[in-house]
Amino acid sequence: MNLMRHEDLRLITGNGKFTADWNLPEQLHAHMIRSDYAHATLDKLDVEAVRDAPGVVAVLTAEDVAAAGFGAIPSGPDIVGAGGVAQKKAPLPVLATDKVRFVGQPIAMVIAESAVQARDAAELVEIEYGELPAVTSAHDSRAPDAPQLHADIPENCSLTFESGDREAVEQAFANAARTSSLQIRSQRLSGAPMEPRACMAAFDEKRNVTVVYTPTQGVLGMKASLSAVTASEPESLEIVAHDVGGSFGLRGGCYPETALVVLASRRLGKPVKWVASRGELFMGEWHGRSLTLNGEIALDADNNITAMRWDDEIDLGAYNCYFGGFIGSNNLSVTMGGAYKVPALYMQSRLCFTNATPVSAYRGAGRPDIAFAIERLVDHAAAEHNLDPVALRRQNFVPADAFPYETANGTVYDCGDFHAVMDKALSLSKYDQFEARRKESEARGKLRGIGLGYYIEKSGAGGAPKDQVMCEFDGNGGLMLFAVTGPSGQGHETSFAQIMADGLGISPSGIGYRAGDPSQDIIGNGTGGSRSLYGAGSAFKNLVTRIIEVSQPIAAEQLGCPPEQVTFGDGTFSGGGQSIGLLDLARQVAPADGSPHPMNCEAHTVTGANYPNGCHVTELEIDPQTGVTEVLSYVSVDDLGNIVSPELVRGQVHGGVVQGLGQAFLEQIVYDENGQLLSGSFMDYAMPRAGMVAYFHSDSYAVPTGLNELGSKGVGESGCSGSLPSVSNAMMNALRVAGVGPIDMPYTPARVWQTLQQAG
Amino acid sequence: MSNNTRTVNLTVNGNATEIQVEDRTLLADALRDSLGLTGTHVGCDTSQCGCCTVHLDGTAVKSCSMLAVQADGSDITTIEGLAPADGELHAVQQAFSDCHGLQCGFCTPGMIMATVDLLRRHPSPSDEQIKAGLAGNICRCTGYVNIERAVKAAAQALEGAQ
Repeated sequence: MNLMRHEDLRLITGNGKFTADWNLPEQLHAHMIRSDYAHATLDKLDVEAVRDAPGVVAVLTAEDVAAAGFGAIPSGPDIVGAGGVAQKKAPLPVLATDKVRFVGQPIAMVIAESAVQARDAAELVEIEYGELPAVTSAHDSRAPDAPQLHADIPENCSLTFESGDREAVEQAFANAARTSSLQIRSQRLSGAPMEPRACMAAFDEKRNVTVVYTPTQGVLGMKASLSAVTASEPESLEIVAHDVGGSFGLRGGCYPETALVVLASRRLGKPVKWVASRGELFMGEWHGRSLTLNGEIALDADNNITAMRWDDEIDLGAYNCYFGGFIGSNNLSVTMGGAYKVPALYMQSRLCFTNATPVSAYRGAGRPDIAFAIERLVDHAAAEHNLDPVALRRQNFVPADAFPYETANGTVYDCGDFHAVMDKALSLSKYDQFEARRKESEARGKLRGIGLGYYIEKSGAGGAPKDQVMCEFDGNGGLMLFAVTGPSGQGHETSFAQIMADGLGISPSGIGYRAGDPSQDIIGNGTGGSRSLYGAGSAFKNLVTRIIEVSQPIAAEQLGCPPEQVTFGDGTFSGGGQSIGLLDLARQVAPADGSPHPMNCEAHTVTGANYPNGCHVTELEIDPQTGVTEVLSYVSVDDLGNIVSPELVRGQVHGGVVQGLGQAFLEQIVYDENGQLLSGSFMDYAMPRAGMVAYFHSDSYAVPTGLNELGSKGVGESGCSGSLPSVSNAMMNALRVAGVGPIDMPYTPARVWQTLQQAG
Repeated sequence: MSNNTRTVNLTVNGNATEIQVEDRTLLADALRDSLGLTGTHVGCDTSQCGCCTVHLDGTAVKSCSMLAVQADGSDITTIEGLAPADGELHAVQQAFSDCHGLQCGFCTPGMIMATVDLLRRHPSPSDEQIKAGLAGNICRCTGYVNIERAVKAAAQALEGAQ
């Protein structure tokens, strides 16, 4: 059986093990009781009827959480704001105490013998809410008379952040020959991994360990958050995640339900399992994006960009959870000048609370948003001042000979060749011949547009001191690899095996990968910031060298010659006129008594962020009769440094781009004025489906980075950063011909059609 | 609140079997919980996503959109029963792997079952037929590009096998 990825066999035959697929003897089932109101006091919570319902074993409320000494959900790093003011934070309690602040906020957990019994029992709860006015946009929540979500946080403002040089930017605008400004909205989204989140905790009394089955992006990150929330020693928790059905940043840390099943299992001495419904996820899983970026650009008489200025409004939702704060501050500032040499940069942002689901990292976490905003602004300036958008970019790109390049606010782009990447994208998309195609569409009554986006983003710097990896040989020619980073579809098992196979000259088929195995005491970063391949992957590249080093004397002994005479090549050690394959050597020297294999070793790398970048070109056609837009062609050229698996990289680009198309055309979380969630299912939250792009060509132009041993740059999130601007610029290009626009995402048929009506 | 249970007779993946379920139990849940066939996935609660797609009496159905009791007497194939024999794969399964048409794998069982049915109805599907045939299946990871390639590759492989 010849399969492309190691992961594939179990997944295509229905033998994957996602969290809800686990069933343990005597397991109990949990169901959440959630707030029906966006903003209310919890005046009465009576669970007596729930407790008495058939099959119910326990009901957990905030009192149980407090009695167990649990903390709140991690609220993310403490970000220092403008003027050195500390961030004001409101962490999400595991269960609501005196107030609820978003529809879907967890209030109680019902545990029963069956899932349907728990669900039926939950309906018997008696809650009295003291309804309060709700505010669901950052813009409204910062108004002086807005309802206050948190008593100790005035004006619903968690943080005012700034970066760059305000005076230099003001000077540049004062002296500018021409300026442009644009408001760019990146709407609130639901990441919507296809696997409904689930968790199960099984307290093992003998070992005094609670085994927790849950999706993760890496066992260490989940363990850290869960041990903090449950006030447990990390050693008392064991995290099990076999297959994870997508995460996109949302499932790296524990949720209230994860902590609650731990509590329940410890108290009841039985496994407790919880599986979300999709409707619960729309309310109760962190949302993504939800930013408004007000950008201004200044050009001199020769059309050099002299400054960019940003005034941003960030919607955190009702509480600070995990990455929300980072998105609206650091992630917007690091690359706020984009791929351009801009001498003066300044941003300020205001992070606001709203009566909505908390926002955290969703594929890109602010970086697609700023890339999108910059490229929209550049195109807008070109349109307003009658400049060619390609020429304007060409003139202002950081030139290929200027690297390493330090931006005006201190970010160092280590390498790149933006001109070459853009030229390749323009050529592949036949950009220069667009006008003829546009006329052809026009003859058929359609509006055709072409647009490009040049993004650059900072990939994950990683919080762990190093990325450590280990290996174990067995007696059968097999090699097992260990690291921390947990997959959710990226193909870790395949990439890492390929790196080892390529380096050692052996077949990848006998090489396995285990993420976060409890038998291994290693540190490293979980999946996040697109760094698994260049982080852990670089460590695996180093492991290749270590394995050869460690094995050399062992091979020498087998070959009966001095170690200095042993050479290695093509998977084989040679010396003294003899040779032995690496895996044959491993078989030979495998201890019979089960003690550690002598060739086992570890390696590591220390590497921070790098700067993937690329040029994406979208060509689309709008039907003015219906407002429906067809994406005719999508061309992406990405500089991802050295590529290990072109197929896996293309898969990541496809996935990221289409998530971007989802945001551009379809997706939006909608609340009414009372904070009721209107987009609560896939009926109302429109998702991309097959056939969304007629023609997709994903290509690359590698400028290898010296910042890690593979020379690779992070690909996972880059698709979003390229698609939002290229699609949006193509839309505006098409609409401009009709004399209308710009418009905000999502470019639904209704919105596009209505906009075109204004053209008269 | 109904908790009547009744006997439902099914043939699943070639095996005649009898389960006891409440009237309100969805077929998807019966397959997963009563029969332990967890390859069929539940991805949503409004029958949009297609992760639960199985074959019932030869036709693809979303097993979340019917009750187990409605399937009494039916012949069901789930993803676990698609491969022709041990150590072999159905052409659609092979094509999905070859074309990298899966990443996390959660939508994959339903996507494969829907594809098998699509190719039964349209052995040489056009782009439009593929788009329509998979309109009931949502994938968040792949962006569909490689899934569409997999459908075409499987179509060719199946035609070649005739």
